[in-house]
Amino acid sequence: MSGSYGTFSTKQEEKRKRTLPDRELIRRVYKYARSYRRNLIIGASATVAGAITGLAAPYMHAIAIDSIIETKDLSAFIWWIPLFVAIIMGNFAFQSIQTYHMRIVGEKVVARMRDDMMEKLQVVSLRYFSEGEAGRIISRPTNDANTVRIFLRLGLTSILVDISSIMGAFAIMLYLDLRLTLLAISILPVAIILVWFLGKYSRAAYRRTLITTSGLTAKMQEDLAGIKVTQAYAQEEETKKKFLKSQDENVKATIRAILIGSSYTPFVIGLRLIGTMIILFYGAMAVINGSIQIGVLVAFTEYQFSYFMPLVDLVSMYDQYQSTMSAIERMFDVIDTKVEVLDAPLQGASH
Amino acid sequence: MSISKPLLEYARSLKPKGGFTQSISAFRRLLKYHSGYRWFLTAIVILALIRSILFAIEPLYTTYIIIYVIGPPTNLKPLLGYLLVIFLAGIGYAISNFVLTLVHGVMSQYIVRDIRTDYYSSLQSKSFSFYDSRGVGDLTSRATVDMQLVDSFLRTWLGTVLNAVFTTIIIIVIIFPISPIMTLISMATMPLIFYFTTRLWTETMPLFKNMQLIIGRLGSYIQQNIIGMKTVRIFRREDDVVDGFKDVEDVYVNTAINAGKIQSIYTPLGPAILTLGIALVYVYAGETLGVPGTALAIAQVGYLILFARYMMRLTMPIRDLSQTLGTWIAAYAGLERILEITDTPRNVEDLPDAKGLKIGKGKLEFQKVTFGYVKDRPVLDDVTFTVEPGEKIAILGATGSGKSSLIYLVPRFYDIQGGSIKIDGYDIREFKLASLRKQVGVVLQDVFLFSGTIRENIAFGKPDASMDEIVQAAKSARIHDFIESLPSGYDTPVGERGVTLSGGQKQRMTIARALITDPRILIMDDSLSFVDAKTEQEIQAAIEEATKTRTTLIIAQRFSTIKTAQKILVLENGSIAEFGPHEELIANNGVYKRVYETQFIQKASPIIEEAGGA
Repeated sequence: MSGSYGTFSTKQEEKRKRTLPDRELIRRVYKYARSYRRNLIIGASATVAGAITGLAAPYMHAIAIDSIIETKDLSAFIWWIPLFVAIIMGNFAFQSIQTYHMRIVGEKVVARMRDDMMEKLQVVSLRYFSEGEAGRIISRPTNDANTVRIFLRLGLTSILVDISSIMGAFAIMLYLDLRLTLLAISILPVAIILVWFLGKYSRAAYRRTLITTSGLTAKMQEDLAGIKVTQAYAQEEETKKKFLKSQDENVKATIRAILIGSSYTPFVIGLRLIGTMIILFYGAMAVINGSIQIGVLVAFTEYQFSYFMPLVDLVSMYDQYQSTMSAIERMFDVIDTKVEVLDAPLQGASH
Repeated sequence: MSISKPLLEYARSLKPKGGFTQSISAFRRLLKYHSGYRWFLTAIVILALIRSILFAIEPLYTTYIIIYVIGPPTNLKPLLGYLLVIFLAGIGYAISNFVLTLVHGVMSQYIVRDIRTDYYSSLQSKSFSFYDSRGVGDLTSRATVDMQLVDSFLRTWLGTVLNAVFTTIIIIVIIFPISPIMTLISMATMPLIFYFTTRLWTETMPLFKNMQLIIGRLGSYIQQNIIGMKTVRIFRREDDVVDGFKDVEDVYVNTAINAGKIQSIYTPLGPAILTLGIALVYVYAGETLGVPGTALAIAQVGYLILFARYMMRLTMPIRDLSQTLGTWIAAYAGLERILEITDTPRNVEDLPDAKGLKIGKGKLEFQKVTFGYVKDRPVLDDVTFTVEPGEKIAILGATGSGKSSLIYLVPRFYDIQGGSIKIDGYDIREFKLASLRKQVGVVLQDVFLFSGTIRENIAFGKPDASMDEIVQAAKSARIHDFIESLPSGYDTPVGERGVTLSGGQKQRMTIARALITDPRILIMDDSLSFVDAKTEQEIQAAIEEATKTRTTLIIAQRFSTIKTAQKILVLENGSIAEFGPHEELIANNGVYKRVYETQFIQKASPIIEEAGGA
């Protein structure tokens, strides 16, 4: 007897407490990635290099305007243009290398983890597949694997890009002007708190859509499994009514999540705007005083752009990171299942 | 042969090119779904235009600060005014962006709902033959996983396309009057960017679509493996399952890597080319700059900065645009899988002049009936017999003799190819499908119960049934006492989330469900073979009670059922071998007598050959 009648639902999966620390999970995923260490190292370095070359662009603009055009020292274009082109081409090349290698790592690691899961599923006790558990087990090599795949391919890269962009932008800003840098980052704490706070609401709303979605999936699955009965009793209309009700709930929850999820962008933009105004006001004064040049002022407004958005991105990435860790844990849960007894061929045929 | 060989062959057969025109026609279909939301579309266009205009304000006013505040000549007076404009434009931008996202999002959910409803409705009207060849898992995943891909495209696509178009136009409108030559220089790279973006799209689209198709199949392969794990174990095919799986994974990973290669070449090209355009503008500006430090020179520098910043800002809509193209590629693969099902024609339908007829006495006639699942391969051939009102006919035959097909023809789960089936003299095609099915009680081979209470399940065919009717049906089906013994009685939940019922209990539940409508005609597929003696007795009693006064066709597994039938129909290879009462057939000394002596006398019951009801 299986004891539990529970059907698969995201709600239950979400509620489950995580037992392994992140560090342990990352270490184990890295074990898989180790075979592709070359790709991983190349990919990661290319990501950092790409972010840095990307950041060099506004600085190059500042040089062009302040030291070359404004001073009519056009001969400097002889070194400036090749360098500018090289930086841009480098940026392009690094991004290509990064996309390519990170994709290889992501796809291969997940494929190997999935292979291990499938291999284990063939030998674990048949009791593992007791009634109502099929949906849960199926979702591990499919849905969970997909979550991890997307994270390794996109999430991990954007975390690397974001971090190196933020660090790079700070470094360059500090090099350009200390006072303006301090002014520029004065709004940061407010921004982080705001994004975190609003993010909590949006995470809760998003979780609700997951629950209604899994309810809708279960409804669909049951309606289709029982379609012959429904048709035999000509109850199509009645069944459809119930399905549409479940669907409407899902639509409502999703719209709510969209509303909450998008409502924090105006605040973020508003805050960034305040930062821009501070820079423009004090920057313009500084240019008039002669303490900085016009190109530096413009570069500052651009760098403010290049650290602010990655930061927001990074904070919102936390969610994806969390769900990926849970997915990884669930995948290892399958891989680690103990093989208790090898069933005799017919033993599992209960009822 | 490996179990996964068909899957592997399928994965390898997918072509890396083509499909572009199909994508356009799928896009048209998607546009049609938008047509009911004209107001949303109008709002999106207006908001996108406002958003693009406001997006261009900040660089313009920063340039004004450089030219008119910093100077020379320096003039602090307009500074706060300019900053205010920048602030208001930014707030306006944020608000229009928010409203646009919301309107777009709401519209996308309505469209997703419409597509899914169409899909669901079409599934409801598909005939049994459609479901015979398709898995529930696959059909569900089309409405969920594939739908999610369509959803993520629908949420932003129009806003992104309009953003790229409007922002480009507005920037050109602002900078062209300032310097036509610099505008031309900076815009010269535009066609190249467009070209590379399109290349990226057309070359990766088929690959992404293939990945989608493989992952879909891989998912149902995993699902089958897990659901059918017992069978895999019994036949010791575990290694086969995993080996084949790894091969398919490899095809998938290689496709992904190929797509990555193409993507990694084209994706960064657009922004790179755009920035090169800026270098050209700088050189031109450097050449034409007036004497440094003068008002003319500062104006030139200010506008130069405007040009450079606008061009850098253009990289964002362009990047978003190619990202949207990427989501379209995935959405297209998903949409195609959804529409493939929605568009499959239904093959059992109401005739135009079908009526809601009432079955009176319940006389059933088969006249020269021919039927096959595949053309020219008849499962039933020239079947003719008559069932008088209230008569019970037991149907007997080996696996594949066409027993199930025969009884499923009565409620038109399948349509016959030749001959006719009549109830009370009316051809069954003269009935409206719903009216026919509501009057023919069916106990299927598969004892499926919906999740819900016992009461809801018994009353499934008659949702407004009174409690008395439900209890009466349960009593007739000999399940009432069991239900009463449960803690919540008739309100006990069953199905995946409820109590687990035994096979025998499930079967009696389905008998009760069939009796609730008090049908004149009853068809039963009694294939439950392995049950203990007590259950056997209870089921027997239930069947007896149910069939007492009704015209009944029953596929019989038990001698007790056959014994109480007025007539026996023996099917052999799709034709009637014998038809008549027990004594008459025994006297005939034919197939029935042989079966009777070998199966029922020696082994009593059931017919071993039918084990598992395959």
